[in-house]
Amino acid sequence: MGEFKVHRVRFFNYVPSGIRCVAYNNQSNRLAVSRTDGTVEIYNLSANYFQEKFFPGHESRATEALCWAAGQRLFSAGLNGEIIEYDLQALNIKYAVDAFGGPIWSMTASPSGSQLLVGCEDGSVKLFQITPDKIQFERNFDRQKSRILSLSWHPSGTHIAAGSIDYINVFDVKSGSTIRKMIVDRQCMGVSKRKCIVWGVAFLSDGTIISADSSGKVQFWDSATGTLVKSHLIANADVHSIAVADQEDSFVVGTAEGTIFHFQLVPVTSNSNEKQWVRTKPFQHHTHDVRAVAHSPTALISGGTDTHLVIRPLMEKVEVKNYDAALRKITFPHRRLISCSKKRQLLLFQFAHHLELWRLGSTVATGTVEAMCLLAVSPDGNWLAASGTSAGVHVYNIKQLKLHCTVPAYNFPVTALAIAPDTNNLVIAHSDQQVFEYSIPDKQYTEWSRAVQKQGFHYLWLQRDTPITHISFHPKRPMHILLHDAYMFCIIDKSLPLPSDKTLLYNPLPPMNESDVVRRRTAHAFKISKIYKPLLFLDLLDERTLVAVERPLDDIIAQLPPPIKKKKFGT
Amino acid sequence: MVDEESLRVVRCGGSELNFRRAVFSADSKYIFCVSGDFVKVYSTATEECVHILHGHRNLVTGIQLNPNNHLQLYSCSFDGTIKLWDYTDGILIKTFTVGCKLHGLFTVSRSEDSVFVIINKEKPDIFQLVSVKLPKSSSQEIEAKELSIVLDYVNQSPKCIAFANEYVAAVRDFYLSVYFFKKKTTSRFTLSSSRNKKHSKNNFTCVACHPKEDCIASGHMDGKIRLWRNFNDDKKYTYTCLHWHHDMVMDLAFSVTGTSLLSGGRESVLVEWRDSTEKNKEFLPRLGATIEHISVSPAGDLFCTSHSDNKIIVIHRNLEASAVIQGLVKDRSIFTGLMIDPRTKALVLNGKPGHLQFYSLQSDKQLYNLDIIQQEYINDYGLIQIELTKAAFGCFGNWLATVEQRQEKETELELQMKLWLFSKKTQGFILNTKINMPHEDHITALCFCNAEKSEQPTLVTASKDGHFKVWILTDDSDIYKKAVGWTCDFVGSYHKYQATNCCFSEDGSLLAVSFEEIVTIWDSETWELRCTFCQRAGKIRHLCFGRLTCSKYLLGATENGILCCWNLLSCALEWSAKLNVRVMEPDPNSENIAAVSQSSVGSDLFIFKPSEPRPLYIQKNISREEVQWGVFVPRDVPESFTSEAYQWLNRSQFYFLTKSQSLLTFSTKSPEEKLTPTSKQLLAEESLPTTPFYFILGKHRQQQDEKSNETSENELVQLPLTENIPAINELLHTPAHVLPPASFLCSMFVNSLLLSIETKSAEEIPEDIDMEEEKESDDSDEENDFSEKIQDTNDPDLGEDIIHQLSKAEEKELRKFRKVDYSWIAAL
Repeated sequence: MGEFKVHRVRFFNYVPSGIRCVAYNNQSNRLAVSRTDGTVEIYNLSANYFQEKFFPGHESRATEALCWAAGQRLFSAGLNGEIIEYDLQALNIKYAVDAFGGPIWSMTASPSGSQLLVGCEDGSVKLFQITPDKIQFERNFDRQKSRILSLSWHPSGTHIAAGSIDYINVFDVKSGSTIRKMIVDRQCMGVSKRKCIVWGVAFLSDGTIISADSSGKVQFWDSATGTLVKSHLIANADVHSIAVADQEDSFVVGTAEGTIFHFQLVPVTSNSNEKQWVRTKPFQHHTHDVRAVAHSPTALISGGTDTHLVIRPLMEKVEVKNYDAALRKITFPHRRLISCSKKRQLLLFQFAHHLELWRLGSTVATGTVEAMCLLAVSPDGNWLAASGTSAGVHVYNIKQLKLHCTVPAYNFPVTALAIAPDTNNLVIAHSDQQVFEYSIPDKQYTEWSRAVQKQGFHYLWLQRDTPITHISFHPKRPMHILLHDAYMFCIIDKSLPLPSDKTLLYNPLPPMNESDVVRRRTAHAFKISKIYKPLLFLDLLDERTLVAVERPLDDIIAQLPPPIKKKKFGT
Repeated sequence: MVDEESLRVVRCGGSELNFRRAVFSADSKYIFCVSGDFVKVYSTATEECVHILHGHRNLVTGIQLNPNNHLQLYSCSFDGTIKLWDYTDGILIKTFTVGCKLHGLFTVSRSEDSVFVIINKEKPDIFQLVSVKLPKSSSQEIEAKELSIVLDYVNQSPKCIAFANEYVAAVRDFYLSVYFFKKKTTSRFTLSSSRNKKHSKNNFTCVACHPKEDCIASGHMDGKIRLWRNFNDDKKYTYTCLHWHHDMVMDLAFSVTGTSLLSGGRESVLVEWRDSTEKNKEFLPRLGATIEHISVSPAGDLFCTSHSDNKIIVIHRNLEASAVIQGLVKDRSIFTGLMIDPRTKALVLNGKPGHLQFYSLQSDKQLYNLDIIQQEYINDYGLIQIELTKAAFGCFGNWLATVEQRQEKETELELQMKLWLFSKKTQGFILNTKINMPHEDHITALCFCNAEKSEQPTLVTASKDGHFKVWILTDDSDIYKKAVGWTCDFVGSYHKYQATNCCFSEDGSLLAVSFEEIVTIWDSETWELRCTFCQRAGKIRHLCFGRLTCSKYLLGATENGILCCWNLLSCALEWSAKLNVRVMEPDPNSENIAAVSQSSVGSDLFIFKPSEPRPLYIQKNISREEVQWGVFVPRDVPESFTSEAYQWLNRSQFYFLTKSQSLLTFSTKSPEEKLTPTSKQLLAEESLPTTPFYFILGKHRQQQDEKSNETSENELVQLPLTENIPAINELLHTPAHVLPPASFLCSMFVNSLLLSIETKSAEEIPEDIDMEEEKESDDSDEENDFSEKIQDTNDPDLGEDIIHQLSKAEEKELRKFRKVDYSWIAAL
């Protein structure tokens, strides 16, 4: 494996933005996440939670609401008063429509997916019809006194619950008039707060409305009579968000204290049909406010100011206890944010709205870039490998400017690409941690890649949960491939045998001397190091020098606003 | 009882009331708790013990109301029997013999003829929950051998098993098992038990079942309470956490309707979780000691908590403590030894932390607590507390001296002596003088001069710093008020040896202070050293003067196992004996001295007079464990043992405390005699409630009596009054479930209606009246019934007692004649 001189870079001052909205699409099993800077990311939950699409944000487009409608169409609305539809193929903004109601606080699509409802600052609720290529304003509902912060459709599509400041309204969709108004108690722990903001509502098919408000309560209302049925005081601070499962047997709420609570509908006794909502488990995976929650059939998804996206699987819904059943915390983008010039020893850092170019010790220039796909150019300049959002990789001949070949499609998206010098072998890493080596001149997988596929990777290798973001090669040792994800870097030595499931994958002890037979025998192709974490980038500058860019989580948290102070017993 | 039975060591009260959950009667009037081999029935309103259910021959381990008849109570014991009691009358109805040690008892209303018990059959640590079929039979003693295992490998404590209608939940270590009666299946839910910090204290400690819903509450070592739901589905089960306790949850109980959950632990705070939500909770703090058990009355109006200081608190539904039943506090080690308060004749010893408890031996309850240290007790492991180490009564109970100490490090000793004056106004002790650091080192002994003639109260303290100090009461008045206070009068020492013991002679003229191996005698008038004794047989451990005729002798017991007796007149050793004395106590009413020696096999008791080296009485093996303290308690009514061996018990009774803190004494009576059948009847009659119905009936009966008297004068042949026929009386007053079959009663009943020959009726009627008589003279007799356990007052053989008894009997006889004979004469 050899020894390297390492540039350990920690001056990449990257702070991801806080998560503002989360929207889950059941049909495609995709998750849309919007951040406070207007960035929208799309995660493919089937492909090992890989962040496959990315729309860069803009300061003027702060999103407040995000929803999927009409199948696979993604809409967002924000405080600039515009409703935006994203083009998921071209990865750009299709169009923006002004709702003319001031800043938009909430948006939801009808159960049929054909209508879109927005709640505005001026207290109006506006209904839009979704046409195949645009959206069209249809009507206004009865205007309220204060802003509409949350909206929910009844599953039949006939009624709407709207949460405002101090009250919840129930609208009839046909007439557009208010049929119920439920006043929310301002009291919080015996102290009367100034206002009680209804941050989230959910309308269930049996007519129950669940509300989450700023005084820490989750309340159940009967929409037929407009009465409070049950109240759960769960936090001393705001309850920001609520998400109900499709089966309506469980829901999740997120609080400003960083806790998410799971509520379940359980039978009162085993032999009766009576059921009741019970607060079951609290999860504390966040340090800051949980601004958005989503409920997929098998997991609770939450995101907040502390920039983590947390996917907590529901154990009772998981069929097989495999690696999918583990908790996931996604902090860093699944892209390479850093590029490195080997000859001139430069580092290029990509931020949300600017770039930074560093020479070791001095900073140089800034500029602007656009979103891009994965590209890889061969060192001799003959070949270009490109991967779009779909799984296929195309290889172009640059000299002739035409398609040379296409690597056979694979189910999982590509996370990293690189073409080896001399041999022109294309190395492809996928989100399920598979690594392929494809010979461009021969237009087929190499022998080594076939051998790897035949034997399969080590099970621990396949269980890693962050994608490989960068692949590079050793200039002097053609048998070595260097690759890394956020928590480890690995040198694959193709000359050594592959590890089987019985051998130790993370072998911390390389053979110290020639006589160490046992260690030599257990040596295998994967040399893994975990000393740098979280590792954003690692590359070889020259044959004896490595550059590693880290971004410690503590540094990010230090730049976030302080969380709500909670008294901890014994401190 | 002509022959005096042999002397036996008996347990005398002070047994744990908090061993198991207390049980309420269905109407919340009574509360039942196990207490050693007995079950005690207390009134929830008055805190008085109403009945003691005797019958088990070993520790009672569980009690439950009979679900089919809420006037009956089941109990189980280590002796392998389940007994069914009628608690209103205190009568044993049935005994079911199971045959193996029973550790806990549960009843379910659904299954009429079976109960559930915890047994361990094979290995000592493996306990099983089994159901026992109780066969229906009319006989009193029934074998119940039909056992079927419900759950294997359960926890020994019944707190870890809870029953609901459809299932039973049991917890042990890190898992919860639920057995469903209908499906006959067991589900098991395991918590993470990894050794990392987060889960290391996940152990289950207790469990409770919701009365209405399918919900199980479990308590854990780390103070969490988990509410399990959906547990009939192995996969979809879920739980909620409630966390307030910072230490282990000791017990849990749901209210009758299930709307609130009660929990308690070492914080001594009862927590009520309303609607089982974390934010909605109520507290009842400052309950004094760790909550061991919580129970809820079936009527739902009362809760009760059992505490580690042997106390039961009855609490109203609105979380207000309404009654406290306090037994002998045995939470901690006893430093002060056993003392007798000269005023109340109560046993005085360490009680709650920082308190002295006054415990009445007769009624087996605590009279009151005296807070000596007067500081908030902070309950935490590893915290060095202030300990109350010494206490002594002086001047016939007018003065109380206490010593408290706290030692954090070798050199940092905090010492305080307090002197308390008995106030007649408040009937309690009031702090008079507080002396900081009375000595430089630990105080080893403390004694008052209790001589009758002494006009000035005197106190002597001996300390390891080599000094003994004499404290006297002086005038401490100033311009504001008249007051008295204690000051040091004299400091004595002997060659810088540590003072280990001190003792005044009976008349107060001499003070003996032992300095390690040497005993010094001081004149209490002038504080001059009179003489010294030295036996070179190790440090003196105990020192005491003889009394009455033996007041010229001084006794000392050394660590090397030598008991010496010195003659103060000749200043020479009178005799010595080889005896490893642990406890040496003089009897205040006689010359006798009791010494308890310790050997490898057990402890032996020797009673002797200082004048002769031959002991009066020896009782071998009074206890297997070490006897720590002993005391003579003067009897209220002297006994009259004739045999020489037992004469020492005539005026005083000897109590001793073993290392495991069981309070024992000597008795000659067999336990069966303690409660005679007549007294049972008497109690049954008296416990009739004074309902409006009773008033009507009672008045009616009186009128009838008068009427009958009138008529009897006119009529020649008088029919016997139904009230006076014993057979009918018996029929009406005996509880129905203990009555013999009707066929058997019929002949008796008919016989009783027949006109009998006078002599026969005369035989029967007086018996009946006798009962009524005793009922009238209620108070004194009832008290006797209780004190009988301890004192052999009605030993009918000899002495003054017999005269007293005869006269009483005669009186009764006379009264009988007075009542009965009138009608007779009139009839003639």
